[in-house]
Amino acid sequence: MLSRVADNLYWMSRYIERADGMARMIQVHQSQALEYAQNDQQLEEFWQPVLQSICAESVHPSEIGVRKIGKTLLFDESFSNSILSCISLARENARMVRDQLSEELWLELNNIYLFFRNGDALDLYNQGSDLLLDRITRFSLVFQGLADATIPHGEGWRFLSLGKYLERADQTSRMLDTLNLRLKEPSRADLMSVLRCCIALSAFRQQFRGHLSLQNVASFLLFSEDFPRSIRFCIRAIDYSLHAISGVPTGTFSNEAEKLTGSTLAMVNFTDWNQVQAKGLHQTLDELQTTLIEIGQRVFETYVLLPSEIKSLGERTSAQLAQAQQQQ
Amino acid sequence: MSIPRQFQGYSTEHFFDKMFSGNGELRARSHYEKIYQRLDRLTETEISERRQQADSSFLEHGITFTVYGDEGGTERIFPFDLIPRVIPESEWNVVENGLRQRIIALNLFLNDIYHDRKIIKDKIIPEEIINSSKNYRPEMVGFDPPQEVYAHICGTDLIRDDQGNYLVLEDNARCPSGASYLLENREIMKRAFPQTFGGMSVRPVEAYPDLLLRTLEYLSPRKSQKPVCVLLTPGVYNSAYFEHTFLARQMGIEIVEGKDLIAIDSCIYMRTTRGLVQVDVIYRRLDDDFLDPMVFREESMLGVAGLMDAYLKGNVALANAVGTGVADDKVTYAYVPDMIKYYLNQEPILSNVPTYLCWRDTDRAHVLENLENLVVKAANESGGYGMLIGNQSTLKERDEFARLIEAHPREYIAQPIISLSRHPTFCQEGIEGRHVDLRPFILYGEDVEIVPGGLTRVALKKGSLVVNSSQGGGSKDTWVLREF
Amino acid sequence: MQLYVFHRTSYRYPGPVTESYNELRLHPLSNVWQKCLSSTLSILPICRTQSYLDLNGNIVHHFELPEEHQKLVIEARSLVETSQRVDFNNFPYGVNLCSLSKMEVVPEYRDYLQSSSYVEINPKVWRMAVDLQGETKDVFQTAYQVMEFIYQNFEYCKSTTTVDTHANEVLDIRRGVCQDFAHAALALCRCLGIPARYVSGYFFDSTRDRRMRGAEASHAWIEVMVQGHGWFGLDPTNNRVVDDTYVILGTGRDYRDVAPITGSYYGPRPHQFDVTVRVKRSDTC
Repeated sequence: MLSRVADNLYWMSRYIERADGMARMIQVHQSQALEYAQNDQQLEEFWQPVLQSICAESVHPSEIGVRKIGKTLLFDESFSNSILSCISLARENARMVRDQLSEELWLELNNIYLFFRNGDALDLYNQGSDLLLDRITRFSLVFQGLADATIPHGEGWRFLSLGKYLERADQTSRMLDTLNLRLKEPSRADLMSVLRCCIALSAFRQQFRGHLSLQNVASFLLFSEDFPRSIRFCIRAIDYSLHAISGVPTGTFSNEAEKLTGSTLAMVNFTDWNQVQAKGLHQTLDELQTTLIEIGQRVFETYVLLPSEIKSLGERTSAQLAQAQQQQ
Repeated sequence: MSIPRQFQGYSTEHFFDKMFSGNGELRARSHYEKIYQRLDRLTETEISERRQQADSSFLEHGITFTVYGDEGGTERIFPFDLIPRVIPESEWNVVENGLRQRIIALNLFLNDIYHDRKIIKDKIIPEEIINSSKNYRPEMVGFDPPQEVYAHICGTDLIRDDQGNYLVLEDNARCPSGASYLLENREIMKRAFPQTFGGMSVRPVEAYPDLLLRTLEYLSPRKSQKPVCVLLTPGVYNSAYFEHTFLARQMGIEIVEGKDLIAIDSCIYMRTTRGLVQVDVIYRRLDDDFLDPMVFREESMLGVAGLMDAYLKGNVALANAVGTGVADDKVTYAYVPDMIKYYLNQEPILSNVPTYLCWRDTDRAHVLENLENLVVKAANESGGYGMLIGNQSTLKERDEFARLIEAHPREYIAQPIISLSRHPTFCQEGIEGRHVDLRPFILYGEDVEIVPGGLTRVALKKGSLVVNSSQGGGSKDTWVLREF
Repeated sequence: MQLYVFHRTSYRYPGPVTESYNELRLHPLSNVWQKCLSSTLSILPICRTQSYLDLNGNIVHHFELPEEHQKLVIEARSLVETSQRVDFNNFPYGVNLCSLSKMEVVPEYRDYLQSSSYVEINPKVWRMAVDLQGETKDVFQTAYQVMEFIYQNFEYCKSTTTVDTHANEVLDIRRGVCQDFAHAALALCRCLGIPARYVSGYFFDSTRDRRMRGAEASHAWIEVMVQGHGWFGLDPTNNRVVDDTYVILGTGRDYRDVAPITGSYYGPRPHQFDVTVRVKRSDTC
């Protein structure tokens, strides 16, 4: 398949996963804020680490007003990770590869885009933000379901998976990182919020019988073998997709992306909480995020750029790479 | 039959009307009888429901075009009118024959001017017309394009005058667009009026993508294997981007942008996740100027450096060929009837609109004196840009054009204002007559193929003569009826 | 029936050739059975054509290419309205072979009863013709038997004969293509005194499985004169009486009179020579 098409599919998938994560993040934190933050000062303190973890430095609660944070994260197009931005970018990527998508998939994405564009989304938000956020998470589930059910599970679909799991691993690590960024020890409510953001509450309860602690939550989200949003699960899925694309058996590698993914997978497979604690949770997550960015970069180099273009990493290419990084 | 509610107050005025004959009293032409009856049975709500269905179907499917000059390149749907335009087969046969004759002559003309220039030596067309044409490409001199065809895909715009004669308004021999609307309009009409459609034995148009693919494959320089054809698009912000994806998908070929292609050793390859794949035929929806920054516009980011070299070495085919724009220059247009006589020894089946060439002193004097009664067009523009419609213009606009004509006489032509035929169309106040034209699509591969009908474009603004999508035009489905 | 015919011939020469002079008989006739609605001829390198009517009433276009060239492409596109022309339930039986003696003196038919470039009337052919006539005394019946005989006993195969193969040889080896079959049929009919002429043209294969021979090529068949009823077309290649699926380009004594393209030039023989013929129904799709 065309390299550019692979790139577009990958990014479309990432943006949709990102919109989904953002929607849940907003929903969970808004409801938590209702209970625990009384005044604007407290609200700002409450939101600060969340904004920091999602790289929303451009969003200043003091400027826009703390009570408008949710709206900003949803609709502000100047913020590149707002849900509207994500959906627009996903659609833009999809538009360039429409011939690769099923009609159903395109209609679903285009409908949610039009729903935002014609103001219906804002109307719904004004009726109740949960109504809109629910709609977005439902859209993402339908979209991913359709992607699985209506697109041939060939190369293009593998790139969709790749984008989805890379983004998901990144999201999970960021949600977990909010716990580090809080000034005080994470409260029970904070832990619950993180689990909710990752739709992990009931799965977590099944495994740990309700024993809510930083150690348990972090271990679960980092190392769970079968929970589909744990970092380990996501990295295994990335590893699998990469090998399905190249046709090389797992456990070996044929390109840098596979090599890096393989070693990261080994790392999460053979690490426990004690080692994490020794290094520090924040440090661990930070390194993980850097690795995820690098995997994305290597995928781009392997499948999108030509060998000659990587060798001559001149001014132009590095500008291109910076651009690619920025999107992450 | 009494006049249906919808047509109360409808007037053909002094125009040729597609649906009705006669003045004063409305009499539906026989081939419109069934549609007329169907419209009579429709209630207001049914009409608006069907219109909404059609509109939302276009928007949901993303069948849109982009308007230049609008902020951020907004997407709009090309408005669609539910009343189809009907052409009886006998009438269509004349059009088809005329178009075939015309495309053959145009291709011989292109071959001639890039080779021996016999038509110039025989003093049929002045040499300076060719050499001064903006779209003349000296790079093509002496080059034999694959299968000796230049314009493989041509969209010729036809109008009907007040007598109902078909006239050629212009030939689009570069990158004509609109074929996707022709196909989509048909799908929507079949859903909106299945019974009426079924009862009229309309000739199908769905073969277009297959015919187009065959036309492309025919050009492949590598005969030993299944040709790799691609559609080269300027990208997602191009006004016709929807059409590009639509056609690529219908043909099952890759849609590529310039950056997806690379020239190595005078061959063209596309970059895929599996490495480089050689390309045989490029259906380019990109003007000559943007094709290759090494030969044409240096700053073009849309093209492929080295494409012309590969093309001139015969390693890749382009459809259309480079340099076809000379044939749709509006000054060259005036000479097409002479070309038909010269190359084919025949009388043109379809006439031109009478045309004054401003570079001729006598013509220019006439044009400058009669600006308010003429349509003035820039010779190398398309899409309804750079145009003056005399009787709808202000004195200031006319003065401006007079100045432009004096400064660049070669760049302007003028034509009498033809009272274009009209067709009943749904408007704000019910059904009214609106001016229409017809753009059939002509494919020239092994032989000439024309799908029956074409895209009927309609000027939705009352009294407007401009049907281009960028200037407030809409479209209709075109039904060529089979006769037994 | 409305039929559209596309006929493209291209020659590529290994070196430059000059002073090419060519005659084309590619313009369908208009007569009682068919009406030529349009016919367009285009030639590369660019040149101008002129036309005249030959002695057989066929339309001939001719052109000259004095300058050097290395290829020649001739394309003809025609649209023809054909009529049914024959009633399959009512063939023109009942005209006795005895009536034929009167025809010999009619100048119009004389040419079609004698030997010509490709056809010779000689005792050997005559004996073969008399044998297959048998007891039949009916003109149409006899001609039909000639057609059937050739269809059943001759093998249709390309590249065993050439454009110059004589009817005598065809009758001998009993192999060939439509041109050869037509010449053989002419020889047999003329020996029995039935006026017979060569027809050049095309036909549209309307059979479901496209099993007819010569549909994607320039075709040939014969016409025989049945007194009081006129000319009837018989296609020995496909064993069919000619109907509205056939388009006539021209008629003559044999191939020489109606060859679609003839010409001469100075230079080497073409190393590549391609012919494409497409016949489509254009009134229904």
